[in-house]
Amino acid sequence: MKKLASNIMILAFCCGMISSAFSADTICFESRKGSSEVTKRDLKPGLPNVKCSSKTGAVLWWGDPFDGTVPLGDMPLLGNIPPGKAVVKPRAEKLAILPMCAVACHNGVGPTFIPPTLPKDKKPKPLPTMEGLLPDAKNLQHGRGGLWCLDCHHTTQRNKLVNNFGDPVSFDQPQLLCGKCHGDKLRDWRDGIHGKRIGEWASTGKKRWFVCTECHNPHNVQDGARNRGFIQIEPETPPQLPRGMKNARHELLPGVSH
Amino acid sequence: MAPKKTPLADPVKEQPSECPAQAASAEPLAPGKTTTSRRDFLKAGGMLSLSSLMGAGALMAQSDEARAAIEWAEHFQGNYRLMTPKEKAEARARLEKRYSAEYGKKVTVDGTEAQPNVLMGYALNVRKCIGCRRCVKACVAENNQSRGKEAGQNIEWIQVLKMERGEFSKEKMNQGYPEGLGIQVGGNAYSPAGTVLEGQYFYEPAAVPEKDATYMPIACMQCEKPPCVKVCPVRTTYREPDGVVVIDYNWCIGCRMCMGACPYWARRFNLTTPVLPKEEMNPVTHYLGNRPRMRGVVEKCHWCLQRTRQGRYPACVEVCPVGARKFGNLLDPESEVSLILARKNVFRLKADLNTFPKFFYFYD
Repeated sequence: MKKLASNIMILAFCCGMISSAFSADTICFESRKGSSEVTKRDLKPGLPNVKCSSKTGAVLWWGDPFDGTVPLGDMPLLGNIPPGKAVVKPRAEKLAILPMCAVACHNGVGPTFIPPTLPKDKKPKPLPTMEGLLPDAKNLQHGRGGLWCLDCHHTTQRNKLVNNFGDPVSFDQPQLLCGKCHGDKLRDWRDGIHGKRIGEWASTGKKRWFVCTECHNPHNVQDGARNRGFIQIEPETPPQLPRGMKNARHELLPGVSH
Repeated sequence: MAPKKTPLADPVKEQPSECPAQAASAEPLAPGKTTTSRRDFLKAGGMLSLSSLMGAGALMAQSDEARAAIEWAEHFQGNYRLMTPKEKAEARARLEKRYSAEYGKKVTVDGTEAQPNVLMGYALNVRKCIGCRRCVKACVAENNQSRGKEAGQNIEWIQVLKMERGEFSKEKMNQGYPEGLGIQVGGNAYSPAGTVLEGQYFYEPAAVPEKDATYMPIACMQCEKPPCVKVCPVRTTYREPDGVVVIDYNWCIGCRMCMGACPYWARRFNLTTPVLPKEEMNPVTHYLGNRPRMRGVVEKCHWCLQRTRQGRYPACVEVCPVGARKFGNLLDPESEVSLILARKNVFRLKADLNTFPKFFYFYD
């Protein structure tokens, strides 16, 4: 009896192991870590939605470029693109603390509520709760000290961004905010020169556009001392050494003088 | 136009008429049919002498008979460019059958021709590239390259070259001028010659981009006047009307003349039997594109013909995390590449060779 029970226990344990091994989802990131992640699955038998790098976990290949996309919202000077040809992946549902923002602390209602403004000494007061939720807020690296939170985030509707006129802008359309200062980049992005698109290459084809925040973290665009627009990422493996070559140290030596 | 081929089933008629006994029994030759090529003659002879061998082989391995027949027909098919549409379809059907059996899934071999009013062009922003090599790996995931562990079994079409940035500082204003015989060799304008590295392919830092490094991805430039096409002795590599230089792998004899001729180090040779695991094989292929190759043939980038002929971006364009890679129709003034040519600072690699690449480098 005891043996049977132990056998059943072993069997159950094995089943649990197997099921956990199968249910472990592979999550890959699309452009940079911490933004637009995809769970690996099969669109149909033999056609995965993405292929990922085994070294870095980056998406290398899309089975369906339009998987889970919605039409790009209205934007000035985009009238020449037929409806439905420009799509984006919604970002709002992926931002973990966004549903809390509008209800928990910054609901913008109440008899004593005064919309916050920059303090007189022009030094924003650090809020420990906020910094705990969003570590990026502790050390804002954008605008070289010339910006604070509410230059980009809406005063009363904290789950929205803000445009030049103080109107709320969805987190799915950050280009309307970023274009306030980076107009040259916005123009290039609109024409497909800056940024990334996947889908059909014809100028009239359907494309998935990557919005600003899918590639840049707006709180950390300077990336410390590098002072550049795209953060450092882990590279993929180098090419295979040719037959007979032991290492690639020759590349680090100055070339022979001719 | 493709020359009319005599059906394989009747090789006797194909014999040259010097032999009096056969000439007497054969039909009188039509005036146009006297130009029997050497290849046709060899083919006929080969059919006669080897058909018995094939029969014996089929008897020994009954299950491989279909496969043997496919390989036999594949071995004697013509140059893809000279085939009639019917022969092309047959060739593709044969390959689909063989690949499907080999890789255990439904493999399609597409044969879509170039579309009118399309001239494909490519642009790459060298200031944006961070050297992450994702394009290299995406290319391998799409194009069925060999990916074995042994030396020579791992083939990648894109190379990313890391180069040191030059500097212009006041202290070095008077350095780097020629000494001795007075010939400036290498180096940048303000550094003594010989101290700048010649470029690295095997860099492996923890994170890219590194400080003061510029990265330059190099693959096939799809030249308008390709040196590789000029030297190919069997004319198996040629330029398609939409601008892509392609290879008919079945007609390639593996002489590697094209590899020597290419000034951009773009071509790779299958020195060993390609290692392509079944589960990693991409079943959507094109005859001139990413269909699995055999040992002893040359391959190279073809701008993902199986995707671009169907309207989809190449795999490397889609994967680039910084959006440095752009692809479009050069004949369409609204396309991304045309806008880049109109607005940005553009150069082509080794423009002095007059190869007229359709791959442009640009910077903001």
